[in-house]
Amino acid sequence: MTDARRSELETLIARTAMGDRDAFDRLYDATSAKLHAVCLSVLKDRPEAEETLQEVYIRVWQSAARYASNGLSPMTWLITIARNRSIDRLRARGSRPVTAPEDAAAFVACSAPGPESATIMAQERRMLDDCLARLAEAQAGAVRAVYLEGVSYADLAAREGLPINTVRSWLRRSLLRLKDCVSQ
Amino acid sequence: MTDDAPLTPSQEDQALAAELALGLLDGPEAAAATARMSTDPDFARIVHDWYERMAGIAEALTPVMAPARARQAIRERLGHVTPPLANDPTERRAWGRGPMGALAGLLAVAATAAFLWLPGLQQPAAPAYQAQLATQDQVLRVAARIDGRDMEIALESGAAPDDRDWEIWWVKPDGSAPVSIGLVPRDGTLRMTLPDGLDPSADIQIALSDEPAGGSPTGQATGPVVAIAPLTSL
Repeated sequence: MTDARRSELETLIARTAMGDRDAFDRLYDATSAKLHAVCLSVLKDRPEAEETLQEVYIRVWQSAARYASNGLSPMTWLITIARNRSIDRLRARGSRPVTAPEDAAAFVACSAPGPESATIMAQERRMLDDCLARLAEAQAGAVRAVYLEGVSYADLAAREGLPINTVRSWLRRSLLRLKDCVSQ
Repeated sequence: MTDDAPLTPSQEDQALAAELALGLLDGPEAAAATARMSTDPDFARIVHDWYERMAGIAEALTPVMAPARARQAIRERLGHVTPPLANDPTERRAWGRGPMGALAGLLAVAATAAFLWLPGLQQPAAPAYQAQLATQDQVLRVAARIDGRDMEIALESGAAPDDRDWEIWWVKPDGSAPVSIGLVPRDGTLRMTLPDGLDPSADIQIALSDEPAGGSPTGQATGPVVAIAPLTSL
């Protein structure tokens, strides 16, 4: 994402926080197709994804004022809300009890990254695809399934026919390897 | 890193932060890790770095336009608009019934006519395009029309089977991946605003592919392309 686009989205979120409906509309125009893709990827059901997208933008409208303090880039914040709302809905589908909303952690205040660290994160993003390709296929597949489809440890364990703890330790190592690779 | 060496404390923090950011922790563990973020700024930073890092995976997804009714529903749920039928229609009729109403009506007609006919007052026409999509046997027919940045898609015949959907793709001439712009409605007309980056021109083609209900699960067309047509200028 270019710096210009990032600052445009930041401005739109800041105006939305002040109740500017026009800015909110423009934010929707600029970002809803991507967030809809995220909802679809997790839910794989058009009506549910559409309903979730509505909830996402209602949450964006209601919590835009808290965006500035969380230090996330605007697309990351929006994607995180969309992904977590979708996962909440996915988990509510099964009879699994839904606990705290998944996006609580994305709302915890956090010092904004300095310009240097923002550059490092942008660099890491560019490395991400390469680094996923460098993981073993099963590892990369599991990381993508967790992120894009909201797969849980229990799902992975059932899929691989392995105990949850084994799957967990394997995935944690995969994530650490991914991090080592992108932050080289 | 060998696969059986225990993780160092810093690796443990990284792994826990990743699990929190990915939603892999269950209730009590997630609550404890979230609480730790408030008291441990370094840990909060690590969690947020994981959000940033992983969002790159979502940024690579092909955008899929939501139907226009999604935006309308958001506006209604936030109280930003009144739903189309929320006004009491009898109220307006009563107002229009009197002589003043008729006069106002005439004035409105005159004003509209003046606006339409006075050339100097006309808005410059936004470029308009259309595409007529059909399968070879003409069973499926879809009309697409673009005015400025507003696009309408109407099914004329040939609704998809219950467990399938026709997905609409915006195909650029440069060979880049087609962009999904939604699903052909089963009835009525889909209206949308074109997202940034999709600029209508005669070089653009619109294609329909046969996808599972709800659209392609991958963001790329997975089924056969059943119809394709270029945008033509109106």
